[in-house]
Amino acid sequence: MNRYALFLGCTTPTQVIQYELSSRWVCRQLGIELVDNEDFVCCGINQVNLSQEAGLLLAAMNLAFAEEKGLDILTLCAACTGHLAESVERLKNQETRDRVNNKLKKIGLKYKGNAKVKHISKVLYEDIGVDRIKERIKVDLSNLRVAPHYGCHYLKPESAYAGFDDPDNPKTLHQLISAAGAFAVQYETLNLCCGGKSFPVSREVAFYLVQKKLDNLMAQEIDCMVVHCQTCYLMYSDQQKVINEQFKKKYNIPVLLYPQLLGMALGGDPKSDLGLDLNTVSSNNLLAKAGIKRKI
Amino acid sequence: MKQAESNRGTIRVAKLDPSFKFEVLKHEETQGLNACFACGTCTAGCPVHEIFPEYSPRKLAKMVKLGMRKEVLSNPYIWYCVTCHNCEQRCPQNVKFFNILNVLKNMAAKKGYAPASWVKQTQQVKKTGLIFPLDEALAKKRESLSLPVLKSEGTKAKKLIQLAGLDKIKAEKHS
Repeated sequence: MNRYALFLGCTTPTQVIQYELSSRWVCRQLGIELVDNEDFVCCGINQVNLSQEAGLLLAAMNLAFAEEKGLDILTLCAACTGHLAESVERLKNQETRDRVNNKLKKIGLKYKGNAKVKHISKVLYEDIGVDRIKERIKVDLSNLRVAPHYGCHYLKPESAYAGFDDPDNPKTLHQLISAAGAFAVQYETLNLCCGGKSFPVSREVAFYLVQKKLDNLMAQEIDCMVVHCQTCYLMYSDQQKVINEQFKKKYNIPVLLYPQLLGMALGGDPKSDLGLDLNTVSSNNLLAKAGIKRKI
Repeated sequence: MKQAESNRGTIRVAKLDPSFKFEVLKHEETQGLNACFACGTCTAGCPVHEIFPEYSPRKLAKMVKLGMRKEVLSNPYIWYCVTCHNCEQRCPQNVKFFNILNVLKNMAAKKGYAPASWVKQTQQVKKTGLIFPLDEALAKKRESLSLPVLKSEGTKAKKLIQLAGLDKIKAEKHS
């Protein structure tokens, strides 16, 4: 039985709820049970900027909440995944763990080191597997050419992921897109960061990086981009619109969350199951090309 | 950018602070710094450096070793890092520059250089446990999609933020 504590993070359940919606739907279809936990709070990654200790304490608290329920964590956000997984590694040091537990004691918690952290794509890849996903496909997406975007924290720090994928030459998202029946392209700026973590401090950095990738993708024959992190989604989709307005650009690349693409292939309703109507760039052309009659 | 200028020109040995390096090295995550031989692979792979050449992991590592405390901690570019981890991923000496930078940012924050955006996020986490506020429109939207109610509660997060001393960090005045 694949049973996980669902870690929503901050941004998905407030800004990109279509990611949450489609993830829950896809997991239901594939027999992954997601257990909600009201105690989860921010993973702590952004607190690291000002206090590494605060970032580690918040991560340890969330991990301890999952441990209390005897569950591993399934994450949607790449950055939450990276920070929680890196914290698990850091908390293997006994001195660090004792120091953290001394503080957790004051809120009635103890970190024991039992909970694993897995991103939803890793769960789909490892627990379900591409072959079993292929068996479940109902809608043919072979007309679609898709540009994957992995997200830095899905792959790095490598020390937190024990050889799951190769940060310099990643393959798992390509394979998952292929499993959904679409064609995953290779492109020059594949490994380029979305700039999301610099966005609150420097839009200049973030916009430059977003445009560099979008420029590269506009020159490719692709139907959409697929991401599996809501921050990457916001940067390439919502900010695509902002950049179009602000810099008079004409980017027009639909950006889907991976569970939305897989959900299309599994026969999900574009609106009520997958929330495609909530995406900033319309997916209507995409749906038509895939032979899905329902418009959004 | 005011800081870029002070990074150029002659380095005056009398003005260096040799204790700075040791202070940075006190943290377990920064031990690799001594192994840095300044090859610049980190800087070559840094997407921020591509836009702002003033930001350079190699240069910052060297400045820490030399003891350029004020120049490093007041450098506005240290906050521009996109956290892509390329610097540590590609380092032939296994230096975890990403972690070193976090230590530097933490030290800079204590000195009053914290960007307002990060301070604001922490204040939000203390209230709702999340970096965003929750409002009625969102609650309705979630309800219409049959998504569970989000609990808006930050008491325990607030306590941990206080225990880490993070609530004492104030934003840089002009930021």
